[in-house]
Amino acid sequence: MIDVMLKGLPFLWQGLLVTLQASAIVVVVALIAGIVFGVGLSYGPRWVAWPIRLLSDFVRGLPLLVLIFSIFYMLPLTGWQISNFASAIAALAVFETAHVSEVARGAIQSIHPGQNEAGKSIGLTFAQRMIYVIFPQALRRFLPPWINTVVDTVKGSSLLALVGIVDLMLSIQQVIGRTFKPMPMYVLGAVMYFVINYTLSQVSRRLEARFAYVRE
Amino acid sequence: MQYHLNFNLVWKYFDRLSWGLVLSLELAAVGIAIGIVIGLGLAVLSHGAGRIVRTLVAAYVEFIRNVPLLLLVYLVFYGIPSVGGFAYDATTSFVMTLAVYAGAYLVEVFRAGLDAIPKGLIDAGRAIGLTPAQLVLHVRIPTMIRIVLPSLGNAFISLFKDTSLATVLAVPELTYGANWIYTNTFRIVEVYAVVAPMYLVTGYVLLFALRQLERRFAIRRR
Amino acid sequence: MSGNDLRPLVRVRGLTKSFGSNQVLKGVDLDVMKGQVVSVIGASGSGKTTLLRCVNLLERYDGGSIEVDGVEVGYSDANGRRRPRGERELARIRADIGMVFQLFNLFPHLSARDNVVLGLRKVRGMDRAAARELAEQWLVRVGLADKVDSLPIELSGGQQQRVGIARAVAMNPKVLLLDEITSALDPELVGEVLTVVRELAKDGMTMILVTHEMSFARDVSSRVVFMDAGRVAVEGPPSEVFGIDTQTHERLRNFLARIEMKRA
Repeated sequence: MIDVMLKGLPFLWQGLLVTLQASAIVVVVALIAGIVFGVGLSYGPRWVAWPIRLLSDFVRGLPLLVLIFSIFYMLPLTGWQISNFASAIAALAVFETAHVSEVARGAIQSIHPGQNEAGKSIGLTFAQRMIYVIFPQALRRFLPPWINTVVDTVKGSSLLALVGIVDLMLSIQQVIGRTFKPMPMYVLGAVMYFVINYTLSQVSRRLEARFAYVRE
Repeated sequence: MQYHLNFNLVWKYFDRLSWGLVLSLELAAVGIAIGIVIGLGLAVLSHGAGRIVRTLVAAYVEFIRNVPLLLLVYLVFYGIPSVGGFAYDATTSFVMTLAVYAGAYLVEVFRAGLDAIPKGLIDAGRAIGLTPAQLVLHVRIPTMIRIVLPSLGNAFISLFKDTSLATVLAVPELTYGANWIYTNTFRIVEVYAVVAPMYLVTGYVLLFALRQLERRFAIRRR
Repeated sequence: MSGNDLRPLVRVRGLTKSFGSNQVLKGVDLDVMKGQVVSVIGASGSGKTTLLRCVNLLERYDGGSIEVDGVEVGYSDANGRRRPRGERELARIRADIGMVFQLFNLFPHLSARDNVVLGLRKVRGMDRAAARELAEQWLVRVGLADKVDSLPIELSGGQQQRVGIARAVAMNPKVLLLDEITSALDPELVGEVLTVVRELAKDGMTMILVTHEMSFARDVSSRVVFMDAGRVAVEGPPSEVFGIDTQTHERLRNFLARIEMKRA
């Protein structure tokens, strides 16, 4: 068992790097876009909030795999020349953005509207209110659930293997294709995913406990 | 790029989609049924049990929650038979995986539910002389079911979406049907223009049904 | 004495406002001269809080006008067309109108000093040292010299409200709006807040107060306005409005009687 694992390790390691790279890009894109959309959902006029709401519900109501397949196979039809890797992570980024925007919306809307009013009353502009009043308070309620979306991104990235991206999941399959010994590779791969995600969820749990103290 | 919409090819093979949808719902239903047994059993077991039991249950939960479902699907279907010597078909394998997956999430749901049972009910049960076993059966479990109903419903809807992974084992559920039609007709836009709403509408119908059920049965926590 | 002193600092004419199908303000007229303290009283639903919140545009009004220091707050006149003001314009107008809230609305992540400093730095553009010094001066004036570094969660209700007053007043507003600022306070903390308000009135701050504290209103106001069903029903000096034996307006009489009964 162990020697099979050791022989496969270098290949899995390469796959892991791809997984981490894909996840990192998606996390950053989804974080920025998600916060923008979350603010739009919370404070935007109807013609801004409703389309975001509709799109977000649409994306979150679909299985991730369906989203990946449809975006991955439909993008080439637009004539746009982007790489497989880019279209695959675009699909994952759309999915995660929808989730992050929900987390952001929840965090922002959990803040008492009086805070926004107090900011208005001393003459702060919208951007100033966001930066100095709302975001500092929303951060506490945003971080723990956001880290959960990061974990979901890493897990979701395993589906990229199904459109040919050689991530950790696909490297596992490839090694098994050569060695015909599935179990050691699955176990090794599981351990690798576990280490990353467990660490992240522990951070999330610690943050949640820490923030729970500071209740106003 | 020229692309002429032609839905006829999709309607021609529509029964792959409609029966696929039915299969997806069945997979989710059986998966959550077994998952409930696992989750409830482990929750009751670890409620007030020793440290070893609770750690083992926690290890199971943490493992399942941090490893991708796809990997679990492969592990159960390809990995276990290779060391166990036995084999099972794709559908059984997938349902087992779903059950184990759901079970891990439901343990937490049930544990929180058990903790949320108003103490007054337990005291009342003890006062009329119920044994611990009877308490569990007649007071704890029925009350807890009403408390966890919303979470159970949401887990089912989630699981329904997760059935799309059965595609990789060639289980003919909805996503597999969609891919089959795409591979044979290349009508990607039409196929997903039909399949995506199927998932969405089913999801909303389930959500609606859940709200109705909640209105009748769930205990509103004050 | 320049002509401007004769113009009301706050001029409300024919103000109307509806929330959906419910018309809360049905045509309100009000003048507040510089240095005056006007108390607005009335039953809940009479529109008094809505009126106040329209002055600094926390609520947009539908019809009529509100002018603060000659400038209409809600709408601008671009090429003869009446257009609702955008957020940037509103921010500038709001900088000159101060508000103190019933629920304090202090920024919980900032100390008392920083609550006051925020507006001074970001809106008035003061540098850090000057802003801190001005903030501290105001906190001393409201009696919180030893609490400048405290977080709101460490302060009592009365202390928080005094920080709220300091935050509003440090901006040097033309008019100060006070929205039932003692309603959420325990009775023994009300006095310390009213003392501060009394001081501000004595120093000539123009104020519009929505309040339930009748004795205080009688004490500190130049004029009292009684609102009923979205309109100004009675208006006059405190002695006239509160003279329960001489007051002829029936609804006001009933209102005053109810208030007296509650205090009994």
